[in-house]
Amino acid sequence: MSTSVSEPKAATAIRIADVCKNYGDYQVLKNINAEVARGEVVVICGPSGSGKSTLIRTVNRLEEINSGGISFEGQNIHAPMRGSELNKLRSRIGFVFQSFNLFPHLSVVDNVSMSPIRVKGVSADVAHDKALKLLDRVGLADKANSYPGQLSGGQQQRVAIARALAMEPPVMLFDEPTSALDPEMVGEVLSVMKSLAAEGMTMLCVTHEMGFARDVADRIWFIDAGEILETAPPEDFFKNPRHPRAQRFLADLRH
Amino acid sequence: MIQDFINIINDYWLLLLIGQYPNGPLGGLANTLILSALAIALAFPVSILMALARLSKWRLLRWPVTGLVYVTRGVPLLMLILWCYFVIPLWTGADVPSFLIMLVTLVIYQGAFLSEVVRAGIVSLGQGQMDAAKALGHGHMSAMRFVILPQALYNMIPSMISTFVSTIKDTTLGYVINVPDLTFAASQVNNQLLTQPFQVFLILAVVYYILCWSLTYVANSIERRITRRRAGPRNARLPAEAAPLKTITEQL
Ligand SMILES: Nc1ncnc2c1ncn2[C@@H]1O[C@H](COP(=O)(O)OP(=O)(O)O)[C@@H](O)[C@H]1O
Ligand SMILES: [Mg+2]
Repeated sequence: MSTSVSEPKAATAIRIADVCKNYGDYQVLKNINAEVARGEVVVICGPSGSGKSTLIRTVNRLEEINSGGISFEGQNIHAPMRGSELNKLRSRIGFVFQSFNLFPHLSVVDNVSMSPIRVKGVSADVAHDKALKLLDRVGLADKANSYPGQLSGGQQQRVAIARALAMEPPVMLFDEPTSALDPEMVGEVLSVMKSLAAEGMTMLCVTHEMGFARDVADRIWFIDAGEILETAPPEDFFKNPRHPRAQRFLADLRH
Repeated sequence: MIQDFINIINDYWLLLLIGQYPNGPLGGLANTLILSALAIALAFPVSILMALARLSKWRLLRWPVTGLVYVTRGVPLLMLILWCYFVIPLWTGADVPSFLIMLVTLVIYQGAFLSEVVRAGIVSLGQGQMDAAKALGHGHMSAMRFVILPQALYNMIPSMISTFVSTIKDTTLGYVINVPDLTFAASQVNNQLLTQPFQVFLILAVVYYILCWSLTYVANSIERRITRRRAGPRNARLPAEAAPLKTITEQL
């Protein structure tokens, strides 16, 4: 963990302040304000097209924003900065994609160890050992030498999680990590995520898995049409959603 | 008739193979192969640089290279050869050997064609691979080098071989600027015999045919192997996206 002398150790991992984003005339994100505390697990939910992916992708600047700022480890990730500085910040934010995006030309273990070697300059031996440990942790030690194309969706997504963890990020972002999976594989991915949460990882997850949200999340952000309409602990959100659109969203989910 | 062929090959095989060498410059089939191999070896890195420039976010890089590619693809190779033949000595003020002029022309021409293949290969990978690399902390060039290009170039192997085949055929045009290649040697033979142009040029055609056909055969079998490797449980989308590459290959 990085500590700095000038700044007291903040309890905030990510602070999103007045973030607006447009695609042409269309405003996808409308003045988003929210915080993720260290060690907190936040689940973002909302109807499709509401801007969940866009929001989570602005956090590691895969998407640019039009105004506002997002601070991570005391730095505004959307401030003008050198490419190398942005790369360094990004390497400290793990990201798991809906479509896995494993590197098909590399074996599973190389998928996991490549970026520590090429980005952080870790030696190949150390990175390889670390990758094997991480693969063991997600239950795929026996697949180290397979290629992504030989794995099931659930296995690929677990490799993708191991790959993100290999950079030792203090924060992990998940964009619908189970939406592209066959139903029988959802559980294996969620259980890896649960164990991460149990170890105290700071997590920001877009997901429709309400069971996961109920069991694991510390807070739910409900987003609709580019606005965060409600943030609440899961028990409150599921029992007494305050916003009418949140009520309708939950009613639709139960059908 | 058959005897004519045997006689020609008997008398002139060395000239057809290596030209006047060692009494004159290297020529014949050897020179054709060297010229083609050098052209493709240089056109390959040039095409990658051109593709990266065309995908660059800097207009100063993107526009001139895009223009060059369009012009090169839009004019006949023979124009380009003549153009280089007259312009390069003007620019350099030196007496540039025709072999070198032909080499430069082929590198520009095949580089431009291949750059379109490289670009298509990069674009067809989709945004996801670049996003994943960036999210892990790779910069643009690092992502290109370790994630994007290894995949795009692997897909390109058949196109590379096809380009090699078309380069071999294109070297024959060097005849107009007196590049001492196989065609040049054959026409020397023809000038000496005077009475047997049909036989001489049939031998020439057969040699080119065998050369190109065997390379095409290799390209096709590699292409089949790549398609088969892709057809596993992995990404069912890939075989479909390999198709545009093949189309581009066939335009060459
Ligand atoms: N690159 C883009 N260009 C234009 N519109 C986009 C783009 N990406 C997303 N959108 C639009 O922005 C809205 C939010 O998209 P997204 O963040 O993907 O929603 P969600 O993840 O909640 O389903 C959608 O209406 C979508 O059509
Ligand atoms: Mg989405």
